[in-house]
Amino acid sequence: MRIEVLALALIVGFANYAFRYGPFRFGLGEGRAGGPMARFLAATGPAAIATLVVASVLPMVGEARLPLLAGVVTVLAVWGWRRSVVLATLAGPVAYGAVFALV
Amino acid sequence: MSQDKSGFASGLVTALPIALGYFPIAFAFGVAATKAGFSGAEAVMLSVVIYAGASQFLALALVASGAPLLVAAFTLVAMNLRHVLYGPALMRAAGADGARRLAWGWAWGLTDEVFGAALGEVARGRRFSEPFMFGIGIGAYAAWVSGTAVGTLAGGGALQDYPAVEAGLGFMLPALFLALLLSILTRAAVPVIGVAGVATVAGTLAVSPTVGILGGMVAGALAGLVRK
Repeated sequence: MRIEVLALALIVGFANYAFRYGPFRFGLGEGRAGGPMARFLAATGPAAIATLVVASVLPMVGEARLPLLAGVVTVLAVWGWRRSVVLATLAGPVAYGAVFALV
Repeated sequence: MSQDKSGFASGLVTALPIALGYFPIAFAFGVAATKAGFSGAEAVMLSVVIYAGASQFLALALVASGAPLLVAAFTLVAMNLRHVLYGPALMRAAGADGARRLAWGWAWGLTDEVFGAALGEVARGRRFSEPFMFGIGIGAYAAWVSGTAVGTLAGGGALQDYPAVEAGLGFMLPALFLALLLSILTRAAVPVIGVAGVATVAGTLAVSPTVGILGGMVAGALAGLVRK
């Protein structure tokens, strides 16, 4: 085990824990219901997930577009059909891989 | 519709799609780490101690390129700054059920996907509880660490002969994020999602992916703030 790898992991791991637990420990984000902070936080969830969708898809746009299209359409279709996060998450990569193999 | 089943076991069940997504990605991380010259123990330690997928893949590149420790640490820490927003947002969504007595334990597992899944469950009427959060967190964490371990055992060339499988695995996280987004989609959230998406693209193309992610989240949340 290299000491520099261990040190890097400990620094980053400690920061991650502070980011995830710190707001609970120090009561950050507590505010009046319906107030500006409440509206900001209510929008944080959809904003974060939308950001992660775009950030994870963006690097794939320049690569194989047909598999990407197949994967996205399949996730949307399976979600519309079954309303299941599990099935949609599994079906998308299967479609992506299958189209990738064909083209 | 309210659901009463909010215990540890329900959390584990909710973690299933996350675990199904995490295991192959962590497997790919273990394979990539071995390929980059990391030992199996180092790769598993990174998954146990850092537990943040994108950071770990970047850590491989930074260490392999010989980046100074503090530069690498600062880059990886900045990538995860967004996690500060997750706890307060989840508590806000949980309302009166938002217990935090044991948050010192379950907050460690508050990754992007765990946050998204928990938020989706609360939005669909499930009562928030700390055992439920432990269930989601432990299920996801176990899949991440075990996937890494199996990946290191498989070795650097494990996926070399299966490009379609490797490509499909690469789409696992985008698929999970998209499914999570669909699960919390409401008419009111559409402007927030639109602003976040545009800001992410702009920040990524103009500066860097990290700036795009932070900028997208903050811009989207601010869009919610100005919306009456």
